[in-house]
Amino acid sequence: MRRRTIGAVVVVAAVMAVFMVKLVDVQVVRASALTAASASDRSVTETVSGVRGDIVDSTGVTLARSVLRWNVQISPSVAVKDKTLTKDADDIGRITGLGGAKVLSIIHDAVAADPDSQYAKLIDGIDVTMLNKLNAIDVPWMYFKRVQSRTYPDGAVAGNLIGFVGSGDKAQAGMEYKYNSCLAGRNGTVVYQRGADNVPIPGTKVTSKKAKDGGELVLTIDSDLQWFAQQKLAEAVKDLGGTYGIVTVMNAKTGQLKAVAEYPSVDPNDVGATPAKYRGSQAFQAPFEPGSTFKPITAAALIDLGLATPESRVLAPYHFTSGHGASLYDAFYHKPWRLTLTGVLMMSSNTGISTLGQKLHLSDKDHYDYMKKFGIGTPTAVGFPAESGGILHPYKSWDDQTRYATMFGQGVSATAIQLASVYQTLGNGGVRLPVKLVEGCRLPDGKMIDVPSNKGVRVVKKSTAKQVVQMLESVVTGGELSKQLTIPGYRVAAKTGTAQQSNGDGGYKSTYLVSVTGLAPAGDPQYVVSVNIANPVKITTSAAAAPLFKTIMSQVLKTYRVKPSTTPSPNLPAYY
Amino acid sequence: MSTPLTTGWRDVWSSAPAPSEEAGRRRLEVVPTRSQRRARPRTVYAVVAVATLFGIVVAQLLLSVLVTEGAYTVDALQAKQTELSRTHQAATEALGRAAAPQTLAAKAASLGMVANPNLAYLRLSDGKVLGSPAPAPAAQGAAATGTGLVPDALDPQADDAARKKAAHKKAEQKKDEAGNSGSARESDGAADAANVPFTGTLPSPTTH
Repeated sequence: MRRRTIGAVVVVAAVMAVFMVKLVDVQVVRASALTAASASDRSVTETVSGVRGDIVDSTGVTLARSVLRWNVQISPSVAVKDKTLTKDADDIGRITGLGGAKVLSIIHDAVAADPDSQYAKLIDGIDVTMLNKLNAIDVPWMYFKRVQSRTYPDGAVAGNLIGFVGSGDKAQAGMEYKYNSCLAGRNGTVVYQRGADNVPIPGTKVTSKKAKDGGELVLTIDSDLQWFAQQKLAEAVKDLGGTYGIVTVMNAKTGQLKAVAEYPSVDPNDVGATPAKYRGSQAFQAPFEPGSTFKPITAAALIDLGLATPESRVLAPYHFTSGHGASLYDAFYHKPWRLTLTGVLMMSSNTGISTLGQKLHLSDKDHYDYMKKFGIGTPTAVGFPAESGGILHPYKSWDDQTRYATMFGQGVSATAIQLASVYQTLGNGGVRLPVKLVEGCRLPDGKMIDVPSNKGVRVVKKSTAKQVVQMLESVVTGGELSKQLTIPGYRVAAKTGTAQQSNGDGGYKSTYLVSVTGLAPAGDPQYVVSVNIANPVKITTSAAAAPLFKTIMSQVLKTYRVKPSTTPSPNLPAYY
Repeated sequence: MSTPLTTGWRDVWSSAPAPSEEAGRRRLEVVPTRSQRRARPRTVYAVVAVATLFGIVVAQLLLSVLVTEGAYTVDALQAKQTELSRTHQAATEALGRAAAPQTLAAKAASLGMVANPNLAYLRLSDGKVLGSPAPAPAAQGAAATGTGLVPDALDPQADDAARKKAAHKKAEQKKDEAGNSGSARESDGAADAANVPFTGTLPSPTTH
């Protein structure tokens, strides 16, 4: 009895020992090799794409969107053995638009280079419609690779601001570039095992890294208004034979840009079609000497310092000499004008503003400080990629000519956006607000990040700002371009400019940058519109920009349902 | 209960032993102790156990089949979802192209619409006209031909198509004018105006 028990125990122990040895062998000794073999047999690692966020305008219209595209690849060595090659190639050529001959030549070239060629690129970035058609013809030697791509449904509308994304989701310009960290998604991975027929085995799915979608960037611009401005600007620049043009629309109460139209400007769907120079945003990146649209800064400085009132008198000659070297002229010959400060702005007299500056002892430092406070010389709060702050030389380095030239906007440069910001300050009771191009970036969980600051800076007294706007109304009510600038029903304040442009050799070009920048309604300014056209040849003065200013301003007032003015213009005296 | 007399009578007439006594004696049995009773297996338990086991096996099998079938369903649905999301993408893209301002403007121009730059409003609360109303001037320049100057590489044909349409329409109008009297178009316009569907009252803000 006892012997039998011992025997049984021994046998069991032996069997157990055999199992143990096998167990250790499988689980420890050969573990990694076996795991790898099994994993490679069944396990699949799949990338889950984190989608790059959309860019939308202030009304929610999508301006940039992430889409799936497919790259079509072929296996040339297999293709040449295809009995129906010609027919298949023709079908593919017809669907993709390459043409059958081109498809065949790609195949034959690849095979000629390498008879065992397994890979040749046919066409990149086809959309769903084309993919479905290609899938339907079922060619065994053609396959598709899915890629993330970017599309801009409105084409060139706001293309200058949005920028574009290069291959591999790499942002290259504009807001795409500036807000890349918020827009970009992060890919995740999922590991699972699959059965013989590629169906995932239940319960084997493991998310090893979670995918994260990018945020949605909300711009302050209105895409319809932006289109309108771009269309009208393009018509005007083409008609006038100009080089380029910029139209800026800004909300005077918030500093938000509602449209920044440029011509020429880039269509992000087809970046190559635009010359490299115009692929960015000239409005932010290319400063110019603004000319007379700068005179309100000088006028504001004189009034704010208590040196002048809108009625301050000056005898404005055709030719002004300072006695210390400066010598300058008005735009055309005239007998001395008996002007008030209002009249100086209305007639846009260079000699008038210079005489006032000299007689009233506007110091270089004060003048410089006011320009600085109006934002000249410093890039705006937008922080556009490669944004310029314009050129404002320190006042200590000014020579006598520069001293007076800066009073009427020469010898200093500013971007179109800075110029609009100056008028925003005047329209907003003397408080300059940070310029805004984005409202923020909305993360997938609904949280808004990158919301710009709304903290303003007081530049001039409220009364000063009001007086300057009233003086600018005279330009519209009594100036040379009164007819072209008047919008029936509204009080408009505006200033024209015909600025000389540096030719890069210390001299000036023979053509001008013509502009009109203004506010409406003047009683309680809501919107700033700035129109700048470079080097027009058909009409070379600001008369070229005035009709466009009126068109754009009317559209702005209509778009935002701004109520017509109910009080008349003050009509400050221009002459004495 | 029976009397001795009858019992005796039975003994006389029958050689068989008294059945009642025999039966009574056979009915006696050894009563099993409690432990004995417990130890004895019962068929019903076995049946229950085996059935349960069988049930579990079958349930597991069924569950497994269901889960596997679910995996195929999930796979099929995911494929469907991919297909649908692609269709959705294609539709969204088409919508985006159709809703682009350039496209809309070109279509509007091809229908002969012109924008009115004159600003005027009708205040519904008191019916007052604000601004200075004036009829829209005839379309000029690019707007007249529906030429879009804001490019869109997504829809290169849009402009051409709109232009062709506009030209076609113009030709048709010319034909109309040639064939009919000059007033034909005007009356057309009037008929259109009369056909504008409008129901209900004008909306007006509530004032307090």
